[in-house]
Amino acid sequence: MTQPTWARALRRLPFYLVVVLIAAYALLPFVWAISTSLKSESELFGPATLIPRDPTFRHYVNVLGSATFMRSLSNSVIVAGGSAIIALAAGSFAAYALGRLRFRGKVAMLYAVLAMTMFPQISVLSGLYTNVRELGIFGTQAALLYAYPLFTLPFAAWVLTSFFRGLPREIEEAAVVDGATTGQIFVRILLPLTVPALVTTGLLTFIVSWNEYLFALSFTITSPRAQTVPVAIAQFAGVVEQQEPIAEIMAAAMVVTLPLVVLVLVFQQRIAAGLTAGSVKG
Amino acid sequence: MVEATTPTRRTATPLSLTLAVALACIGIATLVGFGLQVVNDAGMRDALDPSLGAARPSPVIAFLDAFGIVLPLAMLVFGALAIVLGLRVARRRVAAMRTGRDALSWLAILGAVVSIARIVQGTPLLAPADAHLAALAGGALGPALAAGVALALRWGMARLARQTDLPDESLVNREARAAWNLLVPALLILVVVAARPLEATIITSLTDKRFASDQVPNFVGLQHYRTLLTVRFDEVVCRRADDGSCARSASGAIRWETLPRERLAEGYRTAWNLNVPLVSGPDTALSISALDRTWIRSIWGTLVFTVASVSLELVLGLFIALTVHSEFRGRGAMRAVMLVPWAIPTVVSARLWELMLKDTSAGVVNRALMMSGIIDTPQAWLTTSALQIPSAIMIDVWKTAPFMALLLLAGLQVIPKELYESARVDGASRVREFLSITLPLLRPAIAVALIFRTLDALRVFDLFNVLFGRSEHSVSTYNFEVLINNQEAGYASAIGVLIFVLIFGFAVLYVRFLGVNRS
Repeated sequence: MTQPTWARALRRLPFYLVVVLIAAYALLPFVWAISTSLKSESELFGPATLIPRDPTFRHYVNVLGSATFMRSLSNSVIVAGGSAIIALAAGSFAAYALGRLRFRGKVAMLYAVLAMTMFPQISVLSGLYTNVRELGIFGTQAALLYAYPLFTLPFAAWVLTSFFRGLPREIEEAAVVDGATTGQIFVRILLPLTVPALVTTGLLTFIVSWNEYLFALSFTITSPRAQTVPVAIAQFAGVVEQQEPIAEIMAAAMVVTLPLVVLVLVFQQRIAAGLTAGSVKG
Repeated sequence: MVEATTPTRRTATPLSLTLAVALACIGIATLVGFGLQVVNDAGMRDALDPSLGAARPSPVIAFLDAFGIVLPLAMLVFGALAIVLGLRVARRRVAAMRTGRDALSWLAILGAVVSIARIVQGTPLLAPADAHLAALAGGALGPALAAGVALALRWGMARLARQTDLPDESLVNREARAAWNLLVPALLILVVVAARPLEATIITSLTDKRFASDQVPNFVGLQHYRTLLTVRFDEVVCRRADDGSCARSASGAIRWETLPRERLAEGYRTAWNLNVPLVSGPDTALSISALDRTWIRSIWGTLVFTVASVSLELVLGLFIALTVHSEFRGRGAMRAVMLVPWAIPTVVSARLWELMLKDTSAGVVNRALMMSGIIDTPQAWLTTSALQIPSAIMIDVWKTAPFMALLLLAGLQVIPKELYESARVDGASRVREFLSITLPLLRPAIAVALIFRTLDALRVFDLFNVLFGRSEHSVSTYNFEVLINNQEAGYASAIGVLIFVLIFGFAVLYVRFLGVNRS
């Protein structure tokens, strides 16, 4: 490498241009949403600028002051948090069995879980809708807590199974020699080792449930009290009823999206690993 | 059951006998209790009432509508197993005792969960204590008592298994039982949220069930499927203008004659008029009509959306993955950036693009395209029917191409670097390297990413629902429309089953032709 540094940098310039282009492609719409949410009404309909001339947090104040929106936010936290916990509890048990124990029927069960991760939710919507009505939980958060394991549980079980499988077998053998029972091995030895995996899987199931729209819309369509944020944002009519409140919609959208984006940026390596474990190792 | 064959005492003790009888009683009670429930079901009573005469609903449909197949089967198996287990405990088999102990634990947990759910469901959590007591008395007491009894029996069973002087079972057996115990919660949940609804959907699709009525639905066989799948091909001529040439609408499209009156009376409606050279003459068109044209159109729209968006995502995703895979400063940051579109809820990104695609001055996409001279006038991207699906494809590609890239990136990282080094030594070009090393070795990752994305795209709902409302349907939004807005459970269920078949078919095709299992 005899080239001076600047010459090498210059040769790499087209490459960096491509990188910047990709970053802009992924981020620009998001940046545009933030910018829109900070613009004043007069600026919204003027010539579009990326950076607001006169940034205002009024729309955020309006949105956060809206009782309907705040209720949908708390509904979402309950539903997404609850279904993440259910998926993690049932999923980690199942994953331990599938990833580390020997029993007849294991291969069939593994295939069943994998098939379930790709299960089309829409095709059981009719049956679930009937069940939810029969149980008397139609139009409540319980309906969503009831339905969400359909996609969160197989996903959690599958991702955790691959994590469990990756742990060295010697750990348990040593514990068995020391006279530990299966339950003790699971709780005392394997569970602490899989805490990172549990955090990742919990985060992923939380995000997936947080973003879910089909069931949320179907089961809470007639009861605004139980609606989650995606439904609220899809139907957002604004606090002040005049024209379509673009800036307020964007402010609401950013309130529900920014925490996710921050989580994703903080945990990006783990999330990428979890997502690929959930699919590529199929 | 692997058990030691050494001769041992198989005589019963008072404890083992009591527990055996209790288990058998649980089994018999399950069977009898379920039988009573069936006979007392309102729909079943109507179906079995001879005084209703011809108006009597079919008992088979009444039974299936109320109970399905999975639940009765589970009851039968559980009841029978409890009886068999009781007999085995009476013969003092350790494996049976332990299985019984575990089963009783699960029964106790189940009873507790049901009773808590009934309390919580009926009364808010912060209600006064006597409200909770009232809820307990009405409906929650039974499961709670059952849980208590199961707990007591469980304790006895555990004692019995411990104090017995019989040889222990094998380790393999214990491991297998532990595994099934761990699988119980997941299996129960999946039966309740997946198997039961799936079965209910299939059964309902054969009936004319509607949500508005309480009546036992009528069996209609495959009628819904016939309505959904019937397609006709006819030839139609164009309407004539005054000068004898084909009449055209304001937008310049040829106006075609409608279908013959008899066809319309049979329920056929035109989905498309295709004026294709070779297939139809100059002034004639191939008219494709269906009994439910919205459905046929939604299938076509969904397929176009799926094929276009997934192939664009693959190309773009591969490009992004290859770029980010090379060594450069800020690579970690790029990987984080790629996750941003994925983390944004689809509803949010749909509304965001809705805003950017507006045909007013606020629509930034139209502005940018006009400034760069690509278009002259603002386009109504989301309301012009020819632009709707392309817009949806573009938004979906934006959201998922980086995600696809992430999956492919993981595949790229497993390819050993030495392969490239030896290729360099042999003087292979970059293109050659890509075609003969990267692509073949990336095949498993591509296959899996393609499957996931295709199955996802086929069930697209959020995007179409938010962007188009009812003006353009995907199969999923049409199913939603029929079920939730029209409350036609039977017809909607048939649509659900067909979507299931469609998606299943794609999955099978992929596994066949891309050889996923080889990875």
